[in-house]
Amino acid sequence: GSGGKEGKGWKRFQSYKGEAALPREAESLRIYVDKKAQTIILPVHGYAVPFHINTIKNVSKNDEGDFTYLRVNFQTPGQLAGKKEDTPFEDPDATFIRSITYRSPDGHRFDTISKQITDLKKEVNKREQQKKEMAD
Amino acid sequence: MTTEFVHIYNGLSPEVGKIRIAGSGLAWKGDESGAMAALAAGDIKWAQWIRVARNFQLRVGMKDRTRVTFDGFNREDHDKLSQLMKQHFSVTLETKESTFKGWNWGATDFQGQDLVFLVSNKTSFELPLTNVANSNIAGRTEVSLEYANPSSKKSSKSSPDEMVEIRFYVPGTKSKERSGSDA
Repeated sequence: GSGGKEGKGWKRFQSYKGEAALPREAESLRIYVDKKAQTIILPVHGYAVPFHINTIKNVSKNDEGDFTYLRVNFQTPGQLAGKKEDTPFEDPDATFIRSITYRSPDGHRFDTISKQITDLKKEVNKREQQKKEMAD
Repeated sequence: MTTEFVHIYNGLSPEVGKIRIAGSGLAWKGDESGAMAALAAGDIKWAQWIRVARNFQLRVGMKDRTRVTFDGFNREDHDKLSQLMKQHFSVTLETKESTFKGWNWGATDFQGQDLVFLVSNKTSFELPLTNVANSNIAGRTEVSLEYANPSSKKSSKSSPDEMVEIRFYVPGTKSKERSGSDA
């Protein structure tokens, strides 16, 4: 074979080129799904932190008392997932964000967001699959 | 001479207000509550400028090592603010570089009382360590920080989404045994 395992099949991606590209909705300090940029913007202590859909593994949601909890799980190395193929990473030795959990009294909104993220993920995966088939 | 900026937030508060800057110091007043935050000129040690969710943030470092933040400035306010900081408080408005690449990998750095997450050496976000309610280490490579949230009584459908937990994967300790294959 050629080259090392790490970095194999790695494709660079980027959400925004600079701060000016952040959508206005980021101001609300609430989770926002920017379909056009294929990005989820998460509010973290006053920052609007974009995460490209490629970094996201899945989302999970559960209700507890008056709140709904939404957990965003990210792609990281060292996960014991039963996957056939290892996801490539640009820098497997970096520090990774593995998950971030939010809560909201508005369960309906978290339902919607959860669905938006899942749909975007599916859409991107489908497109990748089609590209692969075309290349073969 | 006093210069005023409108539609400015103090800290993470949802209330907008006005900020006035003059030779004596800097003061923010909430438009609705009338709440005040006043900083005396002599107590101001440094000033920084960084892009946050609500546009640009002016952060001011105080003599007692506390930090006060004001969100909601426009990009165009920078030069004016920079000049005011110099003129009234003899401090340089430093720009903190931020990144919007959308990556979930990078490096962590401790800066003062914050844990800073850096992507390509630029700030992605900061986590105040003073608010951490609990922290856990699992399997030597996973670190979690839990945040306690103020009582839920005031939450409404329009309130911000509260982050309650963040988990990091820190492969540092493991990488040593693996790195042999590269040699």
